Amino acid sequence: MTADLPLVVEDLSFRYRDRAEAAIRGLSFEAHPGEILLIAGASGCGKTTLIRAINGLIPRSYKGEVSGRILLFGQDPAGWPLARISQLVGTVLQDPERQILGTKVLNEVAFGLENLGLPRDEILRRADAALDYLNIASLRLRETYNLSGGEKQKVALAGVLAMRPKILLLDEPLASLDPASASETLGMVRRLADEGMTVLMVEHRVEDVLGIRPERVMFMSEGEIRYLGPLDGLERAVDYREVKLPAEVVIRRAKADPPPPPPTILPGVERRDDEPLVRFENVAFGYEAGTEVLHGINLDIRRGDVIAVLGPNGAGKTTFVKHAIGLLKPGAGRVLVNGRDTRQASVAEIAGTLGYVFQSPSHMLFAPTVYEELAFGPRNLGHPKEQIEKEVKEALQIVNLSDKEKDPPLALSFGQQKRVSIAAILAMRSRILVMDEPTAGQDYQNYMNFMDSILQMPGFEAILFITHDVDLAVIYANRVLLMAEGRLVADGSPQEVLRDVHRLEACRLVPTSLLAANLKRLEHTGRFLRAEALAHVSSF
Amino acid sequence: MLVAWRYRKRKSFIQSFDPRAWLIFYACTLVVTLFFWDLRFLLVLLGLAVFVLVTSGVTWKEMRRAFLFIIGFIVFFAFLTFLTGRGGTEVYRQEHLLVEFRAPFSLFGWTPVLKVTLERIFFAASQFARIFGIAIMTILIPYSLDPALYGVTFRGLGLPDKIAYAMDLTMRFIPTFGRDFQLTRDAQRARGYELEKIRGGLIEQVRKLGPLIVPVTIHAIIGSEDIIDAMDLRAFGVGPRTWLEQLTYRTRDRLLIAFGLLLLVAALTLMFLGYGGFWVPESLIRAVGG
Repeated sequence: MTADLPLVVEDLSFRYRDRAEAAIRGLSFEAHPGEILLIAGASGCGKTTLIRAINGLIPRSYKGEVSGRILLFGQDPAGWPLARISQLVGTVLQDPERQILGTKVLNEVAFGLENLGLPRDEILRRADAALDYLNIASLRLRETYNLSGGEKQKVALAGVLAMRPKILLLDEPLASLDPASASETLGMVRRLADEGMTVLMVEHRVEDVLGIRPERVMFMSEGEIRYLGPLDGLERAVDYREVKLPAEVVIRRAKADPPPPPPTILPGVERRDDEPLVRFENVAFGYEAGTEVLHGINLDIRRGDVIAVLGPNGAGKTTFVKHAIGLLKPGAGRVLVNGRDTRQASVAEIAGTLGYVFQSPSHMLFAPTVYEELAFGPRNLGHPKEQIEKEVKEALQIVNLSDKEKDPPLALSFGQQKRVSIAAILAMRSRILVMDEPTAGQDYQNYMNFMDSILQMPGFEAILFITHDVDLAVIYANRVLLMAEGRLVADGSPQEVLRDVHRLEACRLVPTSLLAANLKRLEHTGRFLRAEALAHVSSF
Repeated sequence: MLVAWRYRKRKSFIQSFDPRAWLIFYACTLVVTLFFWDLRFLLVLLGLAVFVLVTSGVTWKEMRRAFLFIIGFIVFFAFLTFLTGRGGTEVYRQEHLLVEFRAPFSLFGWTPVLKVTLERIFFAASQFARIFGIAIMTILIPYSLDPALYGVTFRGLGLPDKIAYAMDLTMRFIPTFGRDFQLTRDAQRARGYELEKIRGGLIEQVRKLGPLIVPVTIHAIIGSEDIIDAMDLRAFGVGPRTWLEQLTYRTRDRLLIAFGLLLLVAALTLMFLGYGGFWVPESLIRAVGG
């Protein structure tokens, strides 16, 4: 019976050569044709290791100790070359940027087929079929590095589908996508499964995947399977703080728990309408002459603002916030930080007032220890030694990395590195904190925790973050900026801005269950709350 | 992800040829230029390079940065050899003095003297023509060669599949490295790091560059691991590869290769006959009174 199954995993364990502990332990399960198996779990739970074991990178590229076995259609692929496995198992990595090799879309989609040495007309036929299937034939001759995040993800998927695998592995395919692109990608995945493909999808935002009705869910923790079965059972098997479940489920479950403490946001800071901290006056900008990416941005950031910047991939969000720290100077108009034109100040000078956390941690980590990494910013700003020590310790506590103080940051996991990069800016104690996608690549529990801590941290006068996650805006922001095509489409309280579902959809945002739950109760609550708090709103 | 050079399809002389033919021609002109010190020959080669440049369709704005850098570099070194008189001594023995500038002061009994000689002027001019010609031809390649064709071009020049693809990746790695460097510099500036304020001894200065060098290097290493994984997962290197893109030589390509080879043979012959060495016009030497 199991001989016909696409994938059987029997008692699989693996330990990386340079680690003391096994990354996965005694995993056993099978996957059926036409099934979507959702794999959820916190970062470091072994999801990615499992994916690597199935697609053959373990033990071929990642060495270590393997026990147990994997069967693909009843055969043990242990002795097979990767090329043979890759015709059965296709893998789409978390970040399409890390997977795309071709300069043009057609070359990228054809890459695997070229390697198999197929005849040219066969390659073209298959590549075009994959592009048509994903509805991206119009991108055929585009350059890959000019594509938007969503387009890149689809092109990477097309490159895998062209090789006609029977099993598709998706490692957090939604991480870098705006909500609309994410739901398009999910729709395609459902269609592939309905046509007979076996899909294993790693994703910890369970809620986002519910729309495509995964047949089964596997919940992993510390390298082991904690739950495997239909979706309904997951809600009972896991803590609602560990995995992002639909808001109504959380509300139901949280009723039994004590209510969460009322949020303290920016303690000690009153919202005031005096002199703005940052002011944008008619700011326009283009990377190259003739192509403007920001048009006429006018806004003030005031004391007490917690601003969420929402908008589709390529809306100009990062370009906009880079102006606030002076990394980009406006082509027209001006930006004032603390009343001073950014054209007249160096980035390092502005950094004392405004701390900026970049999207990718790997572009900034360099020091031999986490402590040194965190002390770098405050030292550049000339803080005294004892103060630096205190600043570093507090920052480490907030991102839950106090035990890693002496570890080299480059040896940490991606999620931990991201938290180090945030702590490195927190330690500088700037008055304004700006974060570009602070939660990308983080698991749910971790990012909720550090967002809570950051907002409760004394010292900041205003916080601004870019995100694709509408719920972060619902829970944390007291002001939402909606951007599209380089313009500010809306600027107001979350209740005002997020209420307009049509406008959200026009900006490629998808209303979430938490937003819906909040809108339903808004009359009683008067403002947006997290699901745990909604559970204790009396009239429901 | 690898980014590409700023290639654009243009109606131009250089892009009207097969990239393989152009690379062969480029290699020939490179070697020929390196053979000569004679300014007359070098000016012909420089003229050729300028012709390719002018007909390339690349605007000044696009290549301004590359050119300003290279011109600054050449002028600096040509001027340096001119001032010191060193560097040219392998190609000329005798110098004919035109003017001599004496500094109106002495340092510890040594008076700086600048001797302007015919040979130094001509050596500086030759050096300039030589390097500038090569620079023009080299800078134009990334603007004119379609990145999608890198691999198949190297394959077509006779390299094996794997090496041809590795060359393809290497060519695209350079601009990617540039982008990563910029991102890292921005990220560190946002942490109050100022490249302009680095002081101290040499070792101290290098140490203080760590915040830039370490992330860029690590990123390059992680990036290449990703690339290897992505290639492995799509069956790279298992057997002979089909290249989707195809290149075909046309008559004009064959003519270009023939012209390149002819140049090379002619240069070799001239060299063998004793032409092409360092040249200063006889008439000028006589005028100076040599």
